[in-house]
Formats: sequence, structure tokens, C-alpha cells
Amino acid sequence: MSNVLRPYLAAVRSTLTAALTLENFSSQVVERHNKPEVEVAGSKEVLLNPLTISRNENERVLIEPSVNSIRVSIKIKQADEIERILCHKFTRFLMQRAESFIVLRRKPIKGYDISFLITNTHTESMLKHKIVDFIIQFMEDVDREISEMKLSLQCPSSYSRRVVPYSGKSGPLESSFLLWCSSVCVEKFNA
Amino acid sequence: MDINFRKIDVDAYDEDVLLETELYDPDPREPLQVVEDAKAKAAAVRTSLAKGDTVGALVTILDNPPYGPNIDEAKNLTLQTVVTVLNSTKSTDIPNVVKLLPVEAQDTLMKYLYKGMGLPGWGDVSGSVLLGWHEKLTEVAGTGCIVRAMTDRRLV
Amino acid sequence: MILLEPHNYIIQTTLVDKFSKPTSLDVQFVDFDGVRFHLSTPERKTALLLSMHIHCWDELVRYGALDVIRREYGSLVQAQPEPEYNVSLVIDLDTAPPEGEQRDSFIHSIALMKRNALAAPFELAFKKQKELETSASGQGDLMAIHYRNEEAIYIQAAHDRVTVIFSTVFREETDRIFGRVFLQEFVDARRLPQIQNAPQVLFTNREPPLEIRQVPGLKDSEDVGYVTFVLFPRHFANLNVAAGTISHIELFRDYLHYHIKCSKAYMQSRMRHRVSEFQKVLNRAKTEAASSERKTVTGRTLQTR
Repeated sequence: MSNVLRPYLAAVRSTLTAALTLENFSSQVVERHNKPEVEVAGSKEVLLNPLTISRNENERVLIEPSVNSIRVSIKIKQADEIERILCHKFTRFLMQRAESFIVLRRKPIKGYDISFLITNTHTESMLKHKIVDFIIQFMEDVDREISEMKLSLQCPSSYSRRVVPYSGKSGPLESSFLLWCSSVCVEKFNA
Repeated sequence: MDINFRKIDVDAYDEDVLLETELYDPDPREPLQVVEDAKAKAAAVRTSLAKGDTVGALVTILDNPPYGPNIDEAKNLTLQTVVTVLNSTKSTDIPNVVKLLPVEAQDTLMKYLYKGMGLPGWGDVSGSVLLGWHEKLTEVAGTGCIVRAMTDRRLV
Repeated sequence: MILLEPHNYIIQTTLVDKFSKPTSLDVQFVDFDGVRFHLSTPERKTALLLSMHIHCWDELVRYGALDVIRREYGSLVQAQPEPEYNVSLVIDLDTAPPEGEQRDSFIHSIALMKRNALAAPFELAFKKQKELETSASGQGDLMAIHYRNEEAIYIQAAHDRVTVIFSTVFREETDRIFGRVFLQEFVDARRLPQIQNAPQVLFTNREPPLEIRQVPGLKDSEDVGYVTFVLFPRHFANLNVAAGTISHIELFRDYLHYHIKCSKAYMQSRMRHRVSEFQKVLNRAKTEAASSERKTVTGRTLQTR
């Protein structure tokens, strides 16, 4: 973990730990219902103050606690157009698989890139500190993944190495761009 | 047929409805007086800071902070003053300063840290400074401090 | 297969197959840029009729495509092409060259049919440049080949160079951004010392280059990109070099889009991998359900009902 990122993740970790004190709570508005209060926002007294943790305008986490559920929304760093599109693709890919991620929300809340909804059933069936670990690991990896994908786009030599499996044949792992350019170029005919 | 009756907010006529004002006791001071207090405190903090007394400055400003509706001016002024104190403290001094604060001041400081982080780019709020303070404060005051900041309805 | 090949693989394999074992056949297939082929044996098993349809045939004929085809294929070219197609060749297996290297090169040249047809305007431009070189000034006509519905190649000869401009459309935003990264890479790669001699590449998004700005009907949208290649006389100094240059440059658009698709596939596989990693982390959080079988003292198992 890089040194700049550490206090940020530490703050998220401690805040999440504090917020993940959930208990079963039946709806006060509708008889025999039991829903995540943070989503329905039906009764004020069970919602707690939302907390924001931010490094700067472009990287922040919003934690909205309530008596039986918390909603964690993450805004991922996007420096330029490529990172924006990669981030969008990646979060969309994840959210399509929200079913298997249990705590993931299918849609992010406005102004954020991805949201998690953790309810009391989750904290009962899973270890609380491991859920926190998961969110922290997620935040760490997402940044790294996006910058790696960006790099692989921009650096053709590393990229062509990975293209080869998809072209169905293994061949010389040369940079495709260099190859193309040099085959057009007349250098070899100069002799 | 008139269907406007469907749009009436029936909950507003409910006797048991919970109002925002019932969640916490209002500030006994008059709004004008709160602003005056905040200004006086800001001045006091400047004197303390000039003397190099960070703990004193923090205790002064974190004592009896403005909360509740309609006093945005006092709130902004107080946040501004807190941020000034936080920014002017050397990162190596933070643990000692935090340890010397009374528990109430620690909780209020936590509230201001979250408020500051919620407004990145506001004034001279800097994410890394606040995160540094947050880390040290959590080490000293524990998770309970965060829980109290989360549950206290008296938003600063 | 980092590079795409200029010849048509289906023509090549089918011909090799038919040379060894002539049978009657009737196949239709396609190549890049919506080019359609029809290979059939209308009369007898040993006479193959190969017809090709190109979107921009009329334009190509104007720039001498028929001459190039006649030069390459001579008497094979039919005076009257098959209906619905632009040009037809008859390949008589009995009179074809004998087995060996000669036949291979014959088959290869037929497989290059699309490439040869598209080569005509390039050859014309190279010739024009040679003419202009003596006068040391002036420009040839701007030749436009609308080889796809919304995309075109523009070729213009000048006294010291030949400019080739591709307009290409990116269907979605991801393609556009990926394409821009790649094309930027093309521009940057040229700085490397080993490829200093490669043609100069320029890339603009939306804004058409100066050479074609006066052309009417250019689409004005964010999706359109223009790639300009500047070919200097050394890129077509002799026939071999010129042929190589043409083969590569014709395939540029297919190459670009092929790589965009590949990178998208790669991203997808990366994300898939990353998701499974996240899944593992989350699974660690799950508590083990107590599933051990409980038995009574006498050894009977308890069952919950």
C-alpha cells in the first residue's frame, strides 16, 4: 500500500468499523416488513449522520449508516478520458455481477461510481472485519487495476503480448506497432 | 373526479410524527449571540495560536460549538477557525495535542473532521491534513469517538 | 497474427484444394470492407469462375482499377462480369501453371484480387508524383475512394510526396477513446530511432486535415477520426517497395479496428479475472456453516425435520 493512500484507507476502515454495528429492525412504517432503512428512509430516528471521507474532490467515500444497514459509496479517481471510460466499464462489469457479490448495490448513488449496501443479514452471516477488509481491498485494487489497464493500452509491447492469446495463434511477441511501422518503413530496402 | 386528495401528505397530520426539532435539544442561545460567540472565539484562538498554544486554541473553539438550523455564518466561521488550527499544527505534534484534549472536545473535533472532508476544496480544507488528524484522533479516542460523531444529532 | 495479411485466405485455400482435386462448387464469401466474392463452377469442374463486388468499384475504375486487374490477370479477366458483381476471372485448372512454386505464386496473385483492385489509385498517385517531380511544384487531383458507407480514403499526389488520408468512424465512445490512444501511439512510435524512416502519421479527431477540408459532405461529429499518412518518394522508390507500402496502407483501417476489438476483449478478460479475485476476498468473510454430522451415543445420526 502506498504511503499517500494509507491514511485515507485507514480512515475508511475505522469509520466502516464504527458504522457496522447493525441489528435486526422491523419497519416502523409498514407492518411485517423489514427493509434496509438507509434505502427507504422512512423514519428519521433510525438514520444516522452520513459521513464523508475524502482525499480530494475526485476521490471520496460516503458512508450512510442506519440502524440495520449502511450504504458505502465510492468515487474512484479518474484523471482523464481513458481512466473515465475504463472506470465506467469496470464498475458496470462489477455491478452486473452484483448477485454474486451480495453486498454490492446494482446502481451507484448519484455522484459516485459504485455503491455497497451492507445489511444486518450480511453482518450476521459474514465476519464483520472481513467485510471491511473486502471493501478496503476493493478500493486498493480498483485504483491499481485501472491504472494497469490504462498502461496496457498505452504500452503496445505489453499489450501485444496479451493480444496473442485472442488471435488464436502464438507468434513472435513483438510490438505490433513497431512491427507495422517498420514493415512500412523502407529501412530494410535502403541496403 | 377530483383526485387531489390523494396527494395530501397525510403523515403531516399524524400526531405521532417525529419532527426534526424533536431529535435534539435546540441551542439555548439566540442566533445573533451564537455568531458573536463564534467571532469572539476566533479572536481568542488567534491569540492562543500566536502564543503557540494549540491545545488551548482547540479547547476554546471546540467548546460549545454552534449547531442546529439557521446559523450557517457561525458554523462556517467556526469550521474555518478549526481548519486554521489544524493546518497550523505540525504533523509530529498531533498525537500529543489530541491526547491533551478532553473527551467532549475530541468528539467535536471528530465532527469537524468529517464536516471538513465532506467539503473538499472549501476554503483551505486539505484532505491529507484532515486524514492525518483523523488517524491520530482515532488512535487516541478509539472507534467510540466515530460512533458518537455519527449518532449525535447536533450537527456542527 | 499481429499483422493482418493482404491476401484472401479463403480464395487461397480453396484454390489449392481444387487444384489437387477438382470438384464442382458454388461458394460466396466476404472480405474486409464489405467486399463480396463468388467462387463457382458454372460450366465444368475445371473452370472456376471467381467474381468480386466492391462497394466503390466505379471510383476505382475511374482511377484505373481495370487496367491494374488486366495487367495482373491478363486473359483471365472476363469481358462481361457475372451479374451483381463488378469483375470476374475464369481460372482454368487445366491450363494453369504446373505444380510447384509457379503455381503457388499464381494462386497467391489471385488471392490478392481485392488488394490489386484497391491498389489502382495508389499506383496512379505514385505515377503522378513522378511526373510532378520534374516540375518541382503543383499538386495532383484529390482522389476519394468511399470504400465503406461512411468512411473514405483520400489520396493526393504532390511534387515531393503522396498524402493518404483515412476517415474512420468509431461506433461507440469506448472505440473512439481506444482508437485515439492507439493512433497517438502511432504518432509517438515514430520517434524511435529504428523506425525513423516510416511514413509520417498525423491524427486528428473531428477536425478534417487541410487537404480535404474543401470536400463537401464530410460528417461533422465526435465519432469521426482522420489519419494522415505522408508517403515520401523513398516509400515507393521501386516496384517492390511500392507494392509493400500499398498492401500495408490498404489494411490500415482493418488493422486499427481489429486491435481496438482485441484490446476490448483483453480488458474484458482482465475484469473477469479481477472480479473472481474480489469474489475470493468476499468469500473469506463468510462464516463456515456448522455442517458436521452429530451422532448420539449409540451411533445413530440426528435428523432435523
